[in-house]
Amino acid sequence: MDFSALNDALASKSYDQIADICDTLMLQVSSQGVVFQDEWPYAIHLLGHIYISDINSARFLWKRIPLAVKERQPEVVAAWNIGQKLWTRDYAGVHEAIREFNWSPEVQGIVASFSELYTKKMFELLVSAYSTISTQDTALFLGLNADDAANCNLSSFFTWLITFVQI
Amino acid sequence: MNLNMNSVETLVAQIHGLSGSISDINQLHSLLKQSEDLFQSESTRLAPLLTELDPFMHSLGYLYILDACTSAPISKEQASELVLSIARFINLCAAEQIRLAPDKFTSVCKRFKDQVMLLEDPMQGVAPMLTAIRKLQLSSEHLTTLHPDFLLFCLLAKCYKPGLSILEDDIFDVDQPRDFFLYCYYGGMICIGQKKFSKALELLHNVVTAPMSILNAIVVEAYKKYILVSLIHVGQFSISFPKYTSSVAQRNLKNFSQPYLELANSYGAGKISELELCVQAHNEKFEFDKNLGLVKQVVSCMYKRNIQRLTQTYLTLSLQDIANTVQLNSAKEAEMHVLQMIQDGEIYATINQKDGMVRFLEDPEQYKTCEMIERIDSSIQRIMMLSRKLTDMDEQLSCDPLYLAKVSL
Repeated sequence: MDFSALNDALASKSYDQIADICDTLMLQVSSQGVVFQDEWPYAIHLLGHIYISDINSARFLWKRIPLAVKERQPEVVAAWNIGQKLWTRDYAGVHEAIREFNWSPEVQGIVASFSELYTKKMFELLVSAYSTISTQDTALFLGLNADDAANCNLSSFFTWLITFVQI
Repeated sequence: MNLNMNSVETLVAQIHGLSGSISDINQLHSLLKQSEDLFQSESTRLAPLLTELDPFMHSLGYLYILDACTSAPISKEQASELVLSIARFINLCAAEQIRLAPDKFTSVCKRFKDQVMLLEDPMQGVAPMLTAIRKLQLSSEHLTTLHPDFLLFCLLAKCYKPGLSILEDDIFDVDQPRDFFLYCYYGGMICIGQKKFSKALELLHNVVTAPMSILNAIVVEAYKKYILVSLIHVGQFSISFPKYTSSVAQRNLKNFSQPYLELANSYGAGKISELELCVQAHNEKFEFDKNLGLVKQVVSCMYKRNIQRLTQTYLTLSLQDIANTVQLNSAKEAEMHVLQMIQDGEIYATINQKDGMVRFLEDPEQYKTCEMIERIDSSIQRIMMLSRKLTDMDEQLSCDPLYLAKVSL
């Protein structure tokens, strides 16, 4: 299986193209009758769909993944966990799902990039949807965990928030 | 026997010789048509000949021999090899040559579909079938017999995105009515899976209102999904059919979809508790029809509809009041619902957490941006194209002898 296009996209951080590249390659390999399920980079494929907010395709990909792969590759399950939180709109849960797994080096780049992108989108949503909102909720939506959010005082919060405004 | 094989080998030589220019190919085509019986009688011995031919340069000859080889019964061991060799042919063949024998190409692809289904690996068929459609089609407006097979593969393999790319084409030429019914029904299911409810509604509407003299199972199932998608996307369902619906559909469809019509009635009343009772009552039927997922989406849509209805009456409303009116459990739940609707662009509002209030806003779209103007422009272009097509069809129809015979009476 020729993963060069995928590797190039990962190297150049063109994460928005990963889903298409993986989909096309999967259909191609499948039509050649190759048994690819054991070697397929499902975690990256799932994250590719999640990166472009195509949770529908991520769901269907998850349904196609064989049980054996789900049992043997915890990273695939962890990647889907992020998708699941997005699907159920558990806004704070997405950040938790990203934080709680020890991602492998191949996947760290796309996870970090998605985390930034998601936080930015959440920030824009909060700005447009709320005229007032508690600091605790803001912190939760933007990725601080529950304890930090409850304990953070206003000035340290704003210092941290300014980093997002500058993105 | 030997004599026949000699004739076959002569034909192969002629395939080599006559695959150059267009006039040569036409000559070859007549020769091949005349030799069909010969191919059929030697079908079991033709497979090795394929290695002497190039699938691209000698597509037409290759097609005839492949068709004859595959017409014989296939054993399970041969199935996977056959599938691979047909897929290879589809990828490499020259479209201009195979379009001379569309029926043969279609029957080879049909056998491909049957074998892929036997191997229970529908994903294997997705890419080749898409290529086959693109090569067989005379234009992107042409619906072939292969379209529904492709969509079926997409559904079974859970690869919905390739299906969507085909569904974006507007169809104006249809070979067989049955293909059209299946294409629209499967297409509707794919759009539902990708949450493109507007397109799904359009496709299902086409199935329900298509001309037909007797009812078929596809229309009955499509009608059930049509009711559900209508409730999800439009928020209401009208039981009266458009005028152009066939009388057979108008008279009979409702008899097969009583539980769905009751659900639609219950939805119209606007109370979540009543709707959930209705769902419970017909749970088994919905599950049997494999529509339970859609029914659940109908229920969650009702919360949205009820909140949207509030925007027509109120400028501001407290989260607790929203929760009470819409029958949610708490103000926090109401806040999450409103936030999700704002995120999806289904409502324009701002939440004031400090006071626990929601302020409903007007749609900020001013219709002045460049993107909006481009959208309007492309819609106008599309309508002009449709209008031209309609005029052409009208002119063609007025010259049609069947039509003139009926009208002159």
